[in-house]
Amino acid sequence: MLLSCTFVNPTVVRDGPTVAQCRRREPSVAAAPIRPGESVLAALRCSRAGHEAVGLCAPETTEGGGKGFAERLRLGRLEEDGLSYKENFIVRCYEVGINKTATVETIANLLQEVGCNHAQSVGFSTDGFATTTTMRELRLIWVTSRMHIEIYKYPAWGDVVEIETWCQGEGRIGTRRDWILKDLATGLVIGRATSKWVMMNQDTRKLQRVSDEVKEEYLVFCPQTPRLAFPEEENDSLKKITKLKDPADYSRLGLVPRRADLDMNQHVNNVTYIGWVLESMPQEIIDTHELQTITLDYRRECQHDDMVDSLTSSESEEILVAERTNGYPCKKQNGHGSDHLQFLHFLRLSGTGLEINRGRTIWRKLIR
Amino acid sequence: MVASIATSAFFPVPSSSSAASLKNSKTIGEGSDSLNVRRIAAKPASASSAMQVKANAQAVPKINGSNVCLKPETLKHDDDVPSSVPRTFYNQLPDWSVLLAAITTIFLAAEKQWTLIDWKPRRPDMLADAFGLGKFVQDGLAFRQNFSIRSYEIGADRTASIETLMNHLQETALNHVRIAGLMDDGFGSTPEMTKRNLIWVVAKMHVFVEKYPSWGDVVQVDTWVSPSGKNGMRRDWHVIDCQTGESIVKATSVWVLMNKNTRKLAKMPDEVRSEIGPYFIERTAVVDEDSRKLPKLDHNTAQHVRKSLTPRWGDLDVNQHVNNVKYIGWILESAPTSILESHELAGMTLEYRRECGRDSVLQSLTSVSTECSDGLQGTTMECVHLLQLENGDEIIRGRTKWRPKRTGLQQHGALATAST
Repeated sequence: MLLSCTFVNPTVVRDGPTVAQCRRREPSVAAAPIRPGESVLAALRCSRAGHEAVGLCAPETTEGGGKGFAERLRLGRLEEDGLSYKENFIVRCYEVGINKTATVETIANLLQEVGCNHAQSVGFSTDGFATTTTMRELRLIWVTSRMHIEIYKYPAWGDVVEIETWCQGEGRIGTRRDWILKDLATGLVIGRATSKWVMMNQDTRKLQRVSDEVKEEYLVFCPQTPRLAFPEEENDSLKKITKLKDPADYSRLGLVPRRADLDMNQHVNNVTYIGWVLESMPQEIIDTHELQTITLDYRRECQHDDMVDSLTSSESEEILVAERTNGYPCKKQNGHGSDHLQFLHFLRLSGTGLEINRGRTIWRKLIR
Repeated sequence: MVASIATSAFFPVPSSSSAASLKNSKTIGEGSDSLNVRRIAAKPASASSAMQVKANAQAVPKINGSNVCLKPETLKHDDDVPSSVPRTFYNQLPDWSVLLAAITTIFLAAEKQWTLIDWKPRRPDMLADAFGLGKFVQDGLAFRQNFSIRSYEIGADRTASIETLMNHLQETALNHVRIAGLMDDGFGSTPEMTKRNLIWVVAKMHVFVEKYPSWGDVVQVDTWVSPSGKNGMRRDWHVIDCQTGESIVKATSVWVLMNKNTRKLAKMPDEVRSEIGPYFIERTAVVDEDSRKLPKLDHNTAQHVRKSLTPRWGDLDVNQHVNNVKYIGWILESAPTSILESHELAGMTLEYRRECGRDSVLQSLTSVSTECSDGLQGTTMECVHLLQLENGDEIIRGRTKWRPKRTGLQQHGALATAST
C-alpha cells in the first residue's frame, strides 16, 4: 500500500537497451554517463549494485539468481526508447466485481503497480516511494493531487490488459503520470488515465516547491515533447470539480479504514478513497450503470483512526458524450447522451468535516 | 458458508474432445515427444510431411507466449493439432485435404464443447497460460498456477497479506475447474450441479503460512481435491516459492453443496459424484490439522471488539454476496494491534456458518486465548475470533496462531531512509 507511488522516470534514451534490462532483481546497470544529476544517479545505481538495503532491494538482490524467472512472469519492460514502460496483467477472479468485470479499484491498483514497476526499472528507490537520493535528503516524497481514470470497456476474469505508462513535468511544480490500457488480445484501447503529482515534505506533511536542480534530476528522463493520454482539448481530466451543495443527495457516513487499506506509514492508500467515493452511490445506479470516468482531487490524507463520510450529489441529469478524436478510439455508447449520468462527490472527516477529497464520476448505462 | 465464486469443484472430463483439450493443457512437451517418436517410425516420405506439419504447428507458438498477438482461432486450431488423431494422419496420409478435414472436425467438436461454457471462447487459454493461468500436473489430478506478488498486495509490513495468499488459493481453485473444461456457470458448478441448482460453499478452512512472500516474489500454487465424508469435498493447496522451493502455505478446506435458491445444504447426488469422483486423489497438504472445537465468543468473553463493519461495493461478488476472503480481513480487524505489530499470522482455522451481503453490519470479536512460550523463538500466541451480525447471527468462528515476526531486512531499518 503505497502512499505516493511511482513517479517514474524512464532513463535517457542513450541508455536504451541496457536500461531495458534493468529490473528489480538485477544488479544495477553499468553506470552510463547521464547528466545533469549524474553523480546523484550514479549513486543511486551504485547503491543498488552494492546490494544495499534500499527499501525492498536487499531481500530481492540476494535472490538474484532467479531474475530471469520473475521477469518472464512480470512481463513488464521499458520501451525501446526508454521513455515509457509497458506491462501486462491478467485479471484474477477476486478482482472481479458485481458486473463480472474488473472493478475500478482493481484498475486503479494495476495503474499503481505498473507505475511502481516503472520506477524500479529505472533505478528509483524500491521502497514504494520512488524517490531520488536528493529527494530523500530533503525529506520529500511524492503525493497524488489528482487522479483521472476513464474506462471504455472493463476487462473480465482472465483477460490480459496491457498498460503503458510514462511521466513528464506538469507546469512549474508538478509532474504527471499517464497511462493507456489496452486489451492485449484485441489491441483496442480500453481505458486511459492521468494523474498529477506534487512533492510533499514527509515530516511537515506540507507541499513544497523544489529547486530547478532537483526537478532536473528526474525530469531529464521524461520525454521532452509532451505526450498526453488525453491530448484532446477541453477533456474531462482538466475540469474543475466544485464542492457539492449541502445537503447531498446521497450519503454514507462513518466509513472506517480497514487494516488492509493502510500503507506502511499507516496512511490510507489512494485506491481506498475511490472505494469510499463510490460507497454513497445508490443501489439503483450501481445496478443499472457502469462507471465510465472518475476524477478525484486529493486534498488531505486520512489515517487508521479516522472516520469518513462519503457524500454524493447528481451534477446533471444527462450529459452529452463528445466523440473522442486524436486516434484514441472510445467505445461509443448507445446513441449519445441519454445514457450517461454525472455525479459530484465529497469525502470528509466525520468529526471535523474537513475535506479529504472531492470527485466527479460519469456513469454509462449497462447493457445487460 | 459463502456461496461466492470461491467455489472450487472440479470435474472429470467425460468426452474425448475434452480429454484432448485436457491433455493439451498439460504440457506441450508431452505432445512433442510423442510426435517425435512417431516421426522416427514413419516412412521417409511421410516423415518429411510430418516434419513440415510440425513446423507449421510450431509457427504458432503457444504456451510460452512468445507471440501473444495471434488470432485466437489459430491458437485453438494449434491446440488440437498435437492431440491424438492428427498425429496418426501425419504419418500415414500425406493427403492435405483429408488432414485438414480431420483437423476441422476436431476443431468444431472442441468449439462445441467450449460453447457450453460461459467464458469467451475467443479468450486464448494459451495466451493466458503465458501469464501463468496454470496447468495440470501429476497426471492431470493436480492443478498448478504461478502468481507474482503485486505491489498493492503487500501489507504494512512489506510482505504479502494473508488476504493476498487466500485470494491466490481461490483463483487457482476456480482455474482448476475452468481449465478442466467443465465450469458450467463461472462459479465452479458442474453441469449436474447446475441442473439441480446446487452450488459449492465452503464450510471449513485451515491455512498455515510458513513464510510470507514479498513484493515481486513468484509463488507456485498446487491444488487438488478429495472426498470429505459422504456429501462433501475437500480441497487442498500447497504453495511454494518458485525460486527457493521453500514452502509458503499449506491449506485445506471442506466444501458442501447448497441449493442456491433455498440456501439449504444438500446431499451429494450420485451424478455429481460421478462427475467429480475421478478427480479425487488421496493426498493431504496439511498434516497436523487442528481439530479442536472452536468456542463461541460473546461480548463478555471477548477482549477486543470492532463494530460497524460494513461491506463495500468492491467486496461483493456477482451475486452481491461478500467474497470469502474479505471475512478474514474483518476477523483481523479486532485483533489487538500489539499482536499485529510484533507477530505474524502463522495459522488460521475458520468455520463458515452464514453468508452476508451488502446491507449487513458486522461485528468482529477477538479474545487472546493462550500465550505459549516457545523457548527459542519467543512467544507464540493464540486467539479466538467471532464474526457476527449485529443481531447475533454468526458468520464465522475462528482460531488464529501467531508467531513472532522474523526481524531482518524486511523490517524498518530499511525504511528509515524513506519513511518517517
